[in-house]
Order: sequence, then structure tokens, then C-alpha cells
Amino acid sequence: MAVTSTADIGGHTDQSAKRDPVLIGLLAAAFVLMAAYALGILPTWLYRVPEEWIPPTAEMLDVVFAFVQNDLGLIHLTRFIAEGPLEFLLDATANLLYGKRRWPYLGPIPWTAIAAATAVLGYYLGGWKMAALAGGTFVWTALIGQWDIAMQTMSVLIVAAPFAFLIGLLLGIAAWKYKWVDRLIKPILSILQTLPFFTYLLPAVIFFKVGPTAGAVATIIYAIPPMILMTTLGLKKVSPEVVEAGKMSGCTRWQMLTRVYLPAARTELLVGVNQVIMLCLAMVVLTAFIGMPGLGAKLLAMMGSFKLGRSFEIGITIVLFAIMLDRLSKAWVEKQPYHHEKGTPWWQQHAYLLGGVALFVIFYILAQFIDFFAEIGRRQSFSKGKEIDKAIKGFLAIEGVNAVTDWLRWFLNVKVLIPFRNSLLWIPTSAFILLITALTYWIGGKRPAIWGFIFFTIIAFSGWWDRSVITLYTVISAVIISMLIGIPLGVFAARSAKWPRRILLACDTAQTFPSFIYLIPAIMLFGVNDVAVVFAIVIFTTVPLTRYTIEGLRTVPPEITEAADMSGATRRQKRWSVQLPMALPTMAVGFNQAIMFAFFMVIIAAFIGTQDLGQELQRTLAGTELGKNIVLGLNVSLMALTFDLAVMSWAENRKKVLGLT
Amino acid sequence: MKKLTLLATVCSVAMMGAAASAKDSDDPIVIPIHNWSSQIVMSNVVGQMFEEMGLNVEFITTDSQAVYESVRLGDVALELEVWEGAFGASFREALKKGGLHDAGDHDAVTREDWWYPMWTKEACPGLPDWQALNACAAVFATAETGDKGRYLDGPVDWLKHGQERVEALGMDFVVVNAGSAAALWAEIGAAEANKTPVVVFNWTPNFAEAVWPGEFVEFPAWEDGCDTDPAVGPNPDALYDCGNPATGYLKKAAWDGMKDKWPSAYCTLTKISFTNPQIAEMAKLVDTDELEPEEAAEEWLAANRAVVDPWMAACSS
Amino acid sequence: MAPVISAKNVWKLFGPDPERYLRDMPADRGFDEIRADGYIAGVKDVSVDVGKGEMLVIMGLSGSGKSTLVRCFSRLHDITGGTIEVDGQDIMSLNERDLIDLRRSKMGMVFQSFGLLPHRTVLENVAFPLEMRGQDRHTRRERALEVVRLVGLEGREDYFPRELSGGQQQRVGIARSLAIEPDIWFLDEPFSALDPLIRREMQDEFLRLQEMLGKTIVFITHDFDEALRLADRIAIMKDGAIEQCDTPDEIVMHPATEYVRKFTEDIDKARVVHARGLSLPINGATVEGPPVDGRARIQDLARQLVNETREVIPVADEDGKVIGVMQRKDALDLLLGAG
Repeated sequence: MAVTSTADIGGHTDQSAKRDPVLIGLLAAAFVLMAAYALGILPTWLYRVPEEWIPPTAEMLDVVFAFVQNDLGLIHLTRFIAEGPLEFLLDATANLLYGKRRWPYLGPIPWTAIAAATAVLGYYLGGWKMAALAGGTFVWTALIGQWDIAMQTMSVLIVAAPFAFLIGLLLGIAAWKYKWVDRLIKPILSILQTLPFFTYLLPAVIFFKVGPTAGAVATIIYAIPPMILMTTLGLKKVSPEVVEAGKMSGCTRWQMLTRVYLPAARTELLVGVNQVIMLCLAMVVLTAFIGMPGLGAKLLAMMGSFKLGRSFEIGITIVLFAIMLDRLSKAWVEKQPYHHEKGTPWWQQHAYLLGGVALFVIFYILAQFIDFFAEIGRRQSFSKGKEIDKAIKGFLAIEGVNAVTDWLRWFLNVKVLIPFRNSLLWIPTSAFILLITALTYWIGGKRPAIWGFIFFTIIAFSGWWDRSVITLYTVISAVIISMLIGIPLGVFAARSAKWPRRILLACDTAQTFPSFIYLIPAIMLFGVNDVAVVFAIVIFTTVPLTRYTIEGLRTVPPEITEAADMSGATRRQKRWSVQLPMALPTMAVGFNQAIMFAFFMVIIAAFIGTQDLGQELQRTLAGTELGKNIVLGLNVSLMALTFDLAVMSWAENRKKVLGLT
Repeated sequence: MKKLTLLATVCSVAMMGAAASAKDSDDPIVIPIHNWSSQIVMSNVVGQMFEEMGLNVEFITTDSQAVYESVRLGDVALELEVWEGAFGASFREALKKGGLHDAGDHDAVTREDWWYPMWTKEACPGLPDWQALNACAAVFATAETGDKGRYLDGPVDWLKHGQERVEALGMDFVVVNAGSAAALWAEIGAAEANKTPVVVFNWTPNFAEAVWPGEFVEFPAWEDGCDTDPAVGPNPDALYDCGNPATGYLKKAAWDGMKDKWPSAYCTLTKISFTNPQIAEMAKLVDTDELEPEEAAEEWLAANRAVVDPWMAACSS
Repeated sequence: MAPVISAKNVWKLFGPDPERYLRDMPADRGFDEIRADGYIAGVKDVSVDVGKGEMLVIMGLSGSGKSTLVRCFSRLHDITGGTIEVDGQDIMSLNERDLIDLRRSKMGMVFQSFGLLPHRTVLENVAFPLEMRGQDRHTRRERALEVVRLVGLEGREDYFPRELSGGQQQRVGIARSLAIEPDIWFLDEPFSALDPLIRREMQDEFLRLQEMLGKTIVFITHDFDEALRLADRIAIMKDGAIEQCDTPDEIVMHPATEYVRKFTEDIDKARVVHARGLSLPINGATVEGPPVDGRARIQDLARQLVNETREVIPVADEDGKVIGVMQRKDALDLLLGAG
């Protein structure tokens, strides 16, 4: 059975790549429309959807929200949650970590105590290296003089992450247990995962009060989707025999869930925890835009006063925290239970716990007498902000750098980007929709094409067509450029044994660096224009392309490369005819992620200065135009989904053809 | 749910009762801080003054436009820097909805307009006159603007009407909108490296004056109605054909409930009035001396007891 | 004596609406026809009884429905048609609570890939069914230790499954299934995932346990040798239906269908068939000399058969009573593979 179906798909893709009547029909229709427009005989309603046809979606949404918020009294509930339990928890962690004057009035915990305790945790989970990473991160943070702001961020993180975990877990269980929940949740998740983060922020502020509570809520919502996915995945993967063993042991339903399913899905659940933590950290930084204090807010303030060096240092702190949390939680995933020999005394069985507690207490007490152990003030810190500033300015003053960036700026702007943008804007809406449909049909087949058609039609009727096209133009340009950089880099790195690790580490770092930090160098190199915007996106989108190229090439089954060797293929032949085709489906995942990242980053790039949806979105943040905010966010989401569906469908078909599933 | 609302009502009534007596409430006074240094330090200075008066203070980072909505709802108690040009519109709108009020002006004045760093003058010696600027438009040309000059305006949503002014005065400039204040600084910072002439949107007081000495371009002087009546200004057929007011206000705003809840703090707030040099000094402590805002505020307070003590004394009954 | 498990005309169909399909289905519909209708007949009209203390081995190739059938016995699968009674009670009529009680008190099951809970130690795994039953910590620990000892795993109580070899893991699985002292013991290809040497050792171990415990057993395997070695009776399944259900001797000597015959072809029958299996009624023939033990395999009688002078040899049961006679020629044919 499997054989016939793959043959079907193979035949289908080959055919559609050559001459598929549907594809030709779509393209022909689009060209007819464009020709008609060029000749001036296209009816204007086919060029752009007329103003009066555009439904007042934003206003309608506003009315609905006003109704839900005020008339139904939802705001009282949400405010109650925000001011009650959530604020209470946030205050408690805030007190412990940076001494906000709230219950339990114990904090702030001295930095040395926290650093020591986490180092022990790191040692328990992953040996000396992990201990150094965990302890080192906190020591760096304290020495560089960012302890308080880092703890402000952490105090929200440690409240938000468990919430996101719990809610995601419950929803994941519900989706696994009940088909209808699954069917209900799936599309919502897809949209949530492509929605620009600005669209998470505004509703959070309106319903949950400005400040940490709104920040925490936005963070929680942002981090829930992967937890849901990992929970359902994990529960589905539990071996049927384990399930039957549970049933035969006479488990009730509740016992099945809590004693069999959840423990058996431990690995996936912990991977979910890892993702929750990473997303929480990313979002907690971004919530600076709605007034969350902490690393993100400080970073924004530093950028607002042109302190590159200090911004950079904050960026490093964020990266260190991200890498530390990532590695620790991954080590936790891999940590398997191990038995103690019989007769091991209890203190030896709990050596790590006791050691951690002991060090914590020792430093806590020391800090009461030695100020340095409790807190490091600004003047004592080791920040090198000014020196970094000087270095950056010196770099920019180099003649060669200037010549290169000036040429790039001129070439890309005048010869590539602006003509490309203008031609996309020139295409009539109707033809544009058909072209998108044709493209998605060619890539992904029928279903993605239908969705592409529907999504772009919705965008056409949203009233933000031109801005959507400009957004899309930026995304496409950036993705193409990053393909030119990322894929060769990945191919090069995959050739040797040690380069992949280095490049992947660089990728990790580039990706966890707070996204908006790239904006400033982009502007300083290229000025406020599209080149800077595209450059800032490219830094971000090259990462997944490189990563998945390496991954794809390295996971080609060894028998296949060996077979190629035995057939006498040269290195080059092997790369082009064996490895790359086999790696393509994996690379497509990277390509897809690059597009998703580009849609994410293009919104942030509004801070450079654009005329796209991001700029409008950023503008809504200041006000209370919730409806408009959501319409804009959905436009971004719909475009992203169109590509997501098409590319993922292609990758899946391709994997089936190659038998890689 | 009903019980809950009842409870809430009882509580709030009780709280009002407490507030009605002359003593200030023990609840923390929530002071908003934004993303520029002078405002952060000023907020810290005032916060420390309140703390000296025995009050509880808390800071919260908010958006500088959205903050007026928060003041109105009482989520935050006050706002210390209401700029005429930048936030006048949001402030007036919130004022209309009710819930907050004007708590008096600072001595300081604000100005925002086209601006250039000093090195630009070498390339275009006729500055700061706007006609001289227009005459050397080519100096400001870039790859994408052809032979026209490039003016980097503030973000579109600041509504600075740079485009309208270029058209009204027939200038050879292309207006490009930056996406954020940070983008403006980055442009100036990049230009500084090899002293490229630039003209950008800027305002005072802010930290930039200390970092990059510069001047505002002198446009035809502001007259009332320049933005509403085409007849006003040199071009009889266009709006925005003059410069922005050279002396805009810098206000304080307060939540209506503040007066009753923290009477003495409110009284102090109305007395507070900082001058341009004082504000510049606050910004400098953070921006140039690299102090944390709290430390900068402490330092500034210590050096300026004579300024602040009378404000506090006037209100401690 | 009433059978412990009694299945009558049991059907298990997989597909969109199996109950309705089965109701409307014409009689005598074949497996392939049913598949053409979009349904898979996991179990097809099976009737079989398992007596107390009996070991029934269900043998079949993969996809023959043997695993499905045993899961119907414990109602891990709900059957589509027919009845299954356990100790005279129709298990399809049980509600969830009663079903759980039935499993908690009477049934144990061993799985091919062990089905151990990876996060629990050996002892905790073994004690798991007792824990589900709500027994207190002390009693269940005592009992679990006892069973762990029974399967020869003492000293490894605190290991995690991951830290054990395959054979040891299956010992844990066996211990767990025995923890509640079940009357009925299901074993689903328990030794298939093990190396041949270990498998043999585990089979011996299993026979030792069964000798001691005397449970009613349903044992599944795809290995005909294993079936012959262990079974009191063998049910051979194909396409969801039982082709033949009989004693090993009968199956080897008298395969009911061509399919069954193919299995028996390569079997060294002398190793399987007992003297009893070759014995014919006496029918007045003269019986001389000492009888052979009916429980002895022909192979074990090889030397005696070669040296034997009688053409007709009496066969006795375990009490020494002569129950029939065996033709020496028949036995020699079997021994020499001519049969």
C-alpha cells in the first residue's frame, strides 16, 4: 500500500512541475489580468478592492471587544485575576529576587547564594561544564552590574513558565483525549504561532493592566502552543503495551493518566518545558514594549539613548541566560533515573540537594556581613560599555567598511529592492492572488493553494493590501538573500566534523540575541532604509537555513553515501546528486522557519522605519485600537500561514517519496 | 460573583474613608517611567522625595503614549514629563475622557524641529537658515534620494508633518521616516564617524545635545493657526509652512484621585518645576556618567537640596 | 468442570461502523471479501474454551489475529459479536468498575516488549498493580519482593528497566503479572523479543513456574516449536479464524487443513508426539510385556523401539493402567521421518 501511494505522489509532483493544466490556467489568468492592467483596460475593482467594499472589520472587532470587555464584564474577571493571584505571585518572586517590598519580605536573595545554588543544580544535571555555565551566567550578570534588571526578568519568567506549562499540559491532554478539542485547537495554534508578538501585547495590556501582570499574561499565552503540541505528541507516542500493561493492572482512568501516560511521556513533556522556557525568555524581553521592567526594558532604554556598548552587554546577558536555561532543561530531559546501591545512606542519596542548600545558606549568611556578596553597585561593576562604544565607532570610521556598505546600500536599494517593491505593488490585486495561488499550488499542491487563495483574498478585503504587499516584499527579499548566504555556509560547514558545532553555536547565539538589538548596527551600517531592514531580517533568517542545511546533510543515511562512494562518485557528484536531494526535505523545514522568522522580524524592523504592517502595528501599541491591531496581526499571520502550509506540504510529500518518514 | 462585587465595594468604600482623612494612604504611589533618561531620573528624584516624606513609591515602565490612559484609570498616579509636541495630543484626548488633570508646568520649555549636528555646518555654512539648507540640498543626497536631500523625520506616528512642510515650502528634500528614536540616534551616530552632513528630527531637552552639539534649523517662525489655516505663514495655500513653536510646554499630569489619596504628595507635585539645565543635568548623570537612575537621582538630589526642600516643606503640614 | 474462559462465535471487526456491518453481513463472508468492504476481521467467528489449569497456546503468523483474540479475552478490545464468558460471567456486560475489579483480581498479562514503566524501579513496577488496587505500601512491598525473588531478580529491586537486559526486563514483566496472584495468565509472545539462547532459558523458567503455580494460561506465539513445547492445546489461527484447535499430538499427526499441515511439515514429529498419541484401541488384541509410559515422547523411546521385538506395544497412562496399543512400525516411521 505504501508503495503505491508514494508513487502517486511522486507522479503528481513531477507532473505539476512540468505542465499541469491548473497551474498553467492560473498563471495565464494572472498574466491576462496584468496585461489588461498594462493596457489600461482592467476594471479598477480588479486592480485594488475599492474602499467601499471593505468591511469595517476593525470597528466590528472593537465593538465585539467592548461588549465582551465591559458589558459581559470580562474585564472584571481578568482584572481580578491580574490583581489577585497573578499579581500576588509576581510580587512574591519580585520580593525574593530583587527585593520589591511585598510579602514574604525576605528578599532580595544575595546573588552569591543564587549563583552557588544554580551551579550545584548544573553540576547535578550535567557535570562541571553545566555547573560553570549556570554559576557563570549569574556571576557575569552580577559583575556586569545587571543583577537587578535580570532578576526583574527572571521574577516574571519563573511565574509565567509554570503557568504556560500547566495550561499547555491541560490543553494538550484535552486535545489528546477529545477529538473535538483537537480539531478546535489546531487552527488556533497555527494562527497563534504566526501572529506577530505585538498582537499578543495589546489585548494583554487592556485586559490585564499595564506592567508585569500584562507582561506575564502575554508571555504565558505566547509560550503555551508548543507545550500543547509536545503534550499530545508525547501522549500519543506512549507505547501501546505500556498502556495495556496499565489497563491490565487495573488502572482507573485517572490512574492511567497520572501513573502511566504522563510519566511515560516524560521526555516529550520535558522537551515541551524546554520550549516553554525558551519562548518565555524571548517574550519576557519583548514585553518591554508594554512596560515590563527588566532586561528588555533596560535594553530599550539603552538603545533609546544610543548606548551601544551597554545594549550589547545586556544582549550577552540575555544570550547567556537563554543558553543556560536551554542547556539545563535539555540536560534534565536526558537525565535518566539511576538507582543507588543498597544501603546508601540518605545524605549520600540526596548529596546534591543538601550541597545546594548548604551553599545557599552559607552565602546567604555571608552576604549579611559582606556587602559585595549581597549586591554589586553600578560603580563597582565591570561594565565596558564605553569601550565597546568606542570600538564600534572606530569600526564604522574605517574607509573600507564605509566603501562596502555604501556600495551595497546603493546597489541593493536602487538596483534590486526598490524596483522589486515597485513591481510587486504594480501587480493588480486580482492577479497577485492568482500568482500566489499558482505558487502555492506548484509548491504544495491543491490544499495549500486553496488556503492561499482564501487567505490572500481575506487580506485584499482587510483594507491593508499595499502594506501587506510591502511586508511580503521585505520578507521575500530577506529570505532570498539569506538563502544565498545560509545554504552555502551550511554546505561548507557540513563538510568537516568540527565546523558544524561551531556554526551551530554561532546560530544559537545569533538566534537568542534579543532581536531588536540587530536594528542599531543595521542602521549604522546602511542608514534608515530598506537595506537596513532587510539586513536586520537576514541576520535572523540565515540561522535556520544554515542549521537545517547542516542537519539535512548530516542525517543522510550513511549507506546511501557509501553506495555513492562505491559507485565511484566524486565529492562534487556526491554532493549534488546524492546528499543535497536527500537533504532537501529537511532544508525545506529550515526554509519554512526562515520565512516564519522573517515575518516575525519584519514587524520588529518597523523600529528602523518601514511602510509595512509592522509600522501600523507598532502604532496601535500606543493606543487602544484593539480591532485594528488584531486585523493587522491576522494579515501577517495569514501570509505566514500560506507559506507554512505550502512548504510543509511539499516537505512531507518529498519525504514520503524519498522514504524518509 | 455578586458577593465578590459587594466585597469590592465595601473595600473601596473603606479605602475612600481612609483617604478622606488628611493622612496620605500607605498604598504605593505608582510612578510611570519611560524609555528616555531625563524622565527616568526625574521620576526617581520625585520618587525619592516622596519616600523622604514617608510615602511608599513604586515604579512601573510604560509606553509614553499609553501612559495617559493608565493615569486616567488610576493604574499610575502621575506623569512628570508631558511634552507639548510629542504627547500633547494623547494628553488632551485623555483629558477629554476625564480621570486626569493638568498639574502645572515645569519651568523648562521644549522644542522639536529639524536639527543638524555641528559638523554639518562645515558642508553648508549658511545654516541654520532654512533657505540656506534648501540651497545645499545636494549635500544631503543619498543613493536612494537621487539629487534631492534626505531629511530623516521622526516615526510617522509622531505626526511631525515633515512631508507637508517640504511641500508647503517647496524644498528639494525627500522625507524618510525613522521607526523609532533609536533609529534617529543610530543615523547621527553613524554620520559622526566620518562627519557626514545629516539633517534629522530632534528635540530638546534630551541627552543628544550633550553627545552631539548641534542646532535647530530656523524655519519661518511659528504663528498660531499655521497647522489649521492655510493663510497663515509664507505660503498662502498650504498648512505647515512654518517651524514648530520654539518654546513648547513641559507639563505634569495627575490622576484625579491622587489629591484625595495622597494629599501631601499631590501638593508637592503641583509645586515641582524643573528648569532646562536641571533636566539636562539629570540626563547627563545617566547618559554620560553611566550611573543607574536611582543613583543618579540620589546624586542629583544631594546636589540640589535647595531646589527641592522648599517644595516639600510647603506641603508637609 | 466449567471452562474458565469460554468464547462463542466471537467477532472483532475494525472499520467505520463494525456493529452495523456485522449485523447486515451475509453469512460465510470471507476475510478478503470483508476487507474489500473496508473492514478488517481481526477475529472471525472464533469459538474456544480454556479449561482450568490448562495452557492454551494460540499460534499464528503476524496479522493472523492472535493478539487481537487474547485482547478480547481481557476486554482490552471490545468484541463486535459473540460472547466471551470468564468464570461464567459475560465480560461484555461488565461496567468499567467491575471490569477494573476483574483485572485487578483475576488477570495478569505479559507483553512482547515488556510494557514496563520506565520511570519506576523493578520493585515499583512489580508493585504497580497492587498499588492500583490500593494496597498499603508495606504489604505491596512484601508481596513484590516475594515475586521478584520468584523470578530470580533479587538484588536488582532498585534498578530501573533501562539498566536491565532484555531477559531481565521480561522477568520483571512476568513478576508484575503475577503480583496479584491472578487465576488467568495471558502471555503475548513473551519471549519473541529475546535472543534464542535466552528464550530457551526463559521457556524452561516459565515451565518451572507453571508447574508450581498451575495457572490457567493463554499463551501467544508465532513460533511453532515454542507452541509444541509448551502447550496442552494449540489453536492455530489464520486471517482471524481458528484453523485447528487440538493437542500438539493431534495437530502433528492429523492436521485439519492444508495450512496447518504446512506448519507440521518440517517438524521432527518424534520430538513432539507422545506414545499416547500413537496408541490405538486394543480391540481385543493380545497385549504382552511391560507397557511404555503414554507421556513419553517417541524420540525418548527411540532406543527401546529399535531394540523392541514386539510389533504391538501396550501404552499405559500415568497410573500404569494400559490404555491402548502402539504399532512399532508407526512409531519407527515417525522416528525415521517417513510418516
